[in-house]
Amino acid sequence: MNIFKNKEKFILILLFSAMLLVIAACSDDAANSDDTIDDSGEDTAGDESEGLSGEVEFMTISLSPTFDDYLNNLKEEFEAEHENVTINLRDVPYDQVEQVVLTSASSGQLPDVMNLNTDFVKKLAANGAVVNMDEAAADVKDTFFEGLWETGSVNGEVYALPWYTTTSGLLYNPDLLEKAGYDAPPTTFEEAWEMSEKIKEETGAYGQVVTDEMHLLMPKNGINILNEDNTQAAFNTSETEEMWKDLKEKYDKGLFPEDVMLGQVKLPELYAQEKVAWWSTGPQLFRQVKDLAPKVYEKSLGAPALEGKAGVQHANPMNIAVSSNSESKEAAVEFAKFVTNAENQLEFGKLAAVLPPVKEAVNDEFFTKGKDSEDATESGKYYAAQQLESAVNMTPPVEAVSEIYKVIREAFHRVILEDVEPAKALEEAEAEVNSLLE
Amino acid sequence: MFKARHAWGFLSIPLLLLIVFVFLPSIAAFGLSFTKYNVFQPMEWIGLDNYIAALKSNDFREAMLNTVYYWFMVTPALVTIPILIAILVNQKLRGIKIFRLIFYFPVLVSVVVTALLWKWMFAEEGIVNYFLGLIGIDAFGWLTDTATVMPALAFVTVWQGFGYYMLFYLAALQGVPKDLYEASELDGASFWQKHLFVTVPLIKPMIFFVAVISTMGAFKEFTLMLTMTSGGPLGSSTTAVLLVFQEAFERLNMGYASAISFILFVIILIFTVINQKLLDTPNN
Repeated sequence: MNIFKNKEKFILILLFSAMLLVIAACSDDAANSDDTIDDSGEDTAGDESEGLSGEVEFMTISLSPTFDDYLNNLKEEFEAEHENVTINLRDVPYDQVEQVVLTSASSGQLPDVMNLNTDFVKKLAANGAVVNMDEAAADVKDTFFEGLWETGSVNGEVYALPWYTTTSGLLYNPDLLEKAGYDAPPTTFEEAWEMSEKIKEETGAYGQVVTDEMHLLMPKNGINILNEDNTQAAFNTSETEEMWKDLKEKYDKGLFPEDVMLGQVKLPELYAQEKVAWWSTGPQLFRQVKDLAPKVYEKSLGAPALEGKAGVQHANPMNIAVSSNSESKEAAVEFAKFVTNAENQLEFGKLAAVLPPVKEAVNDEFFTKGKDSEDATESGKYYAAQQLESAVNMTPPVEAVSEIYKVIREAFHRVILEDVEPAKALEEAEAEVNSLLE
Repeated sequence: MFKARHAWGFLSIPLLLLIVFVFLPSIAAFGLSFTKYNVFQPMEWIGLDNYIAALKSNDFREAMLNTVYYWFMVTPALVTIPILIAILVNQKLRGIKIFRLIFYFPVLVSVVVTALLWKWMFAEEGIVNYFLGLIGIDAFGWLTDTATVMPALAFVTVWQGFGYYMLFYLAALQGVPKDLYEASELDGASFWQKHLFVTVPLIKPMIFFVAVISTMGAFKEFTLMLTMTSGGPLGSSTTAVLLVFQEAFERLNMGYASAISFILFVIILIFTVINQKLLDTPNN
């Protein structure tokens, strides 16, 4: 019995030790490293003043395995130039990026170089988790289009380098337009809504629809989301009220469906079923229609994106940010600049059908040759590249951007679905956004 | 001694996993619920502020109401419908196993696939509205109307879950002595009377079990909402756990999200105890 008791104790001790081991393995090792956040972008440990050194983990989003060769080439070229630097590639599925970054951050192990979407860059930047690129990469600032360089800005400072980007083109179905008596697609939102009524009447299909991106539709039509110094909501204006009233009337006439507005049904699916006459999106996504309905894609054509009253287009780059806590920060910043230089951006643009936000790359023949192409993606690519010069990223440079978008979206949904007066919905949304900005 | 040693051996691994992946994170989350923490910056002790904020929050109140509404639709259905189905598929008929398989089949489909499938079916241009159109009923926004979105989601949950609970009831039915049915037949009981007065009392422990499990499932559900509606329209399908997810991973309010989780834990505990009091009588 004693033996049993001892064994029981032994097993308990064993279990407890194993548990401690696991906990120790999982625990935050930040205590062993410098976990203070350096906002200045100045270098800390792990690099040398004379040459770059250290290990740099590069996290990309859903690029593997399609772009493995490209990424491996980047790694090899950079390592050849900087022999003391090792680049470790890591690819994360799109829908897991935020969780991966958050769990890495909580254990003090953020990847050194991260491919991030704009909203998330702003969250990280506001919390001092990424390096200030206005300081660390000031030497390459002028190589980017000005409107796109500002993408990763929070409170007046830029925290990420724009990597690949897209602007919008228009994929349209000439058959549906012809049935409604039109031989060309619309060029402005105003024209689009006028045509929509006739298209709905003649074909039963939708023309212009409202998606869940009210926060972009507003600035495209000259309505600012925030005031100039980004401290208060600026969208509660008579123009917005008028716009929402007008859209409510259009909804009541059945001109756009609520499931697309709520983001429950994706527009390419409706377009592929010929239930909507055009789809305004980045030309690299036109191929979704090709996958869903090749015949519909074949007859589709590309056109410039619809223009709003503001006359500017939104560009939404993917960004490259460097962790403030990187032990090889200098090498990481250098690698970020290397990935986003004109040559590498152009090469990636050719492979991935995306646009480089770097001035030099976009003048390449690859982006200009599609002007007269009958392939919608090719011509869309041409039009989208042409817009880069004047494109801006319309995301407000504040941390709470996702919450602000949600407030605006839901206020508009209340107008549409619950018949709330636009003035009331706007007033409530304004108060809510102001409290988020406090 | 031999048996005890083996038991320890078998139990140690799951116990270790439970401690590491459930108990310790739960304790950590409880601690977190008293702090302000956004992952990137150091934790700040704020006492009961998160709990007070949660109890004052409209979003939390609405999410709790949505969750209770969802539970109210789902649990009674998942407790009763599977009994009826189990009784039916427990009959000795030719090909009855095929029916059992068919009823169990939705359980084998992953929740995300189920969600996508029903999202398409419930879409305005979907097959549900198409069939309604054939009998002259106008298309309806099942997932876009604040009044119907929760019943639609509850329907999908019941569709997917009833086969699972049917299996439990089938197992329980095997334990009901046949002679009791024969006796009740001699007393002139009809088919349904037999089951109401013989089957139901004898499988009451299983009914209790199903009620508890489905209650916990209903309170924890969020995959369907996340995939089918993202909590919309206008937050009408945001459940408490979805709110936890949104607060933690979208707004980075880890402390607040943990506080909501613990309030939810207490509520589930209360519901479970009530269930136990109502259904788990000494006779069981």
